[in-house]
Amino acid sequence: MKMSFKTLFLIPLVVLVMVTFVPLAPDAEAGARGGGGGGRQVSNSNRDARANNVRGKSANNVNGNRNVNANSNTNVNANRNVNVNSNRNVNVDVDNDYNGCCGGDWDDDDDHHPLAAAAAIAVTVAAIGSLVNDVPANCVPVNYSGVVYQQCGNTWYQPQGSQYVVVNPPY
Amino acid sequence: MIYKKLAMAMLALSFVAPALYAQSASVDAAPAVTNPVDPASIQALKDMGGYLMTLKRFQVSTEMTGERVLMDGQKLQHSATAQLDIERPNRLRAGISSSRAEREIVYDGKTVALALLSKNKYATVPFTDNIGALVLALEDRYGVEIPLYDLFVWGTPEAPLDKMDSAMNAGQDFIGDDLCDHYAFRQGDFDWQIWITSGDKPLPRKLVITSRTDEARPQSVSIMNWNLKPTFESSVFKFTPAKGSTAVELQAFSGK
Repeated sequence: MKMSFKTLFLIPLVVLVMVTFVPLAPDAEAGARGGGGGGRQVSNSNRDARANNVRGKSANNVNGNRNVNANSNTNVNANRNVNVNSNRNVNVDVDNDYNGCCGGDWDDDDDHHPLAAAAAIAVTVAAIGSLVNDVPANCVPVNYSGVVYQQCGNTWYQPQGSQYVVVNPPY
Repeated sequence: MIYKKLAMAMLALSFVAPALYAQSASVDAAPAVTNPVDPASIQALKDMGGYLMTLKRFQVSTEMTGERVLMDGQKLQHSATAQLDIERPNRLRAGISSSRAEREIVYDGKTVALALLSKNKYATVPFTDNIGALVLALEDRYGVEIPLYDLFVWGTPEAPLDKMDSAMNAGQDFIGDDLCDHYAFRQGDFDWQIWITSGDKPLPRKLVITSRTDEARPQSVSIMNWNLKPTFESSVFKFTPAKGSTAVELQAFSGK
């Protein structure tokens, strides 16, 4: 009785020890840095449609939770950007799954990232010295040496009267 | 023989158990919690935030597990990893990797580049401020979250510590080989827990956030690994578009 009990106990112990020493798959050591994706590809062709029917997700941070649940706008620090969620959905919910949930969180799928939906831009740069009446909507004002430039990507606009002139980057 | 011993033990236990129960019950009832916010736990967050701000050059990686809640309340878990190279005040490189995401965010102090490697797309946006400002701007302006966002917010006014509904010390625990102090907080709709390395280098090693906005209470778990003597070159902060990738324009929120 005692012997058999001991033997019974030994078997799983031996198995456990063996399992512990099985070498880890190389995948486990794959770098955390993005960019190494070549070759590692998952297929979701068998994924159930219900798995995309998401109403909310966990939060990744405690100080900027503004998009935790797409259906209720919850802010821990409520003094910033009340309308982030409603605006975000315009950009993100392009293919109509995920129910407008998620998209910009760092752990979200690339398919739902704001960049995924962004259209390619023509790489033509406005010619230096050309005059425009208005600058593009995405320009950022940059104060340098007392001049408030408007910077749009790689293009810099300097105010000239009621117009703007395209200039070389001031720094 | 064994049975006899076992029977005796169980008999003994049956006498002791009610006494144990009675004792713990009276302990529970005794001290009414006067202040649900333990000042020492808040101080621990302050110390950690202050310490994080002193780190000039470091590498931190995370393995996180998050949850998505389906329409009927069923939850699906997912995982992702990220690695950050940081050189304060204004250099950052973040690599994000999961089964369905391969991304980079590279900031050299003048331009921040976001690359969607799986889609061969990237966008560049001019920016000149420090990392803390960048992290907030990306979130506010473009809805893009930097991994381990809190690391760049703790220790700043953007992470106010006077908004806690509850704060407590939950004892000590090991994360990897590191002895950590475990704290638990309730803040608005979030319950969160943090494990901070004990001693003079109070680094966050684990963060758990439970959302009470949804009755399914989706939860994220992030383990952080630190390297305070990183070997990366400064060239990692220079963004080079991948071959064959296309420049796209990252749209700011229309409201901004």
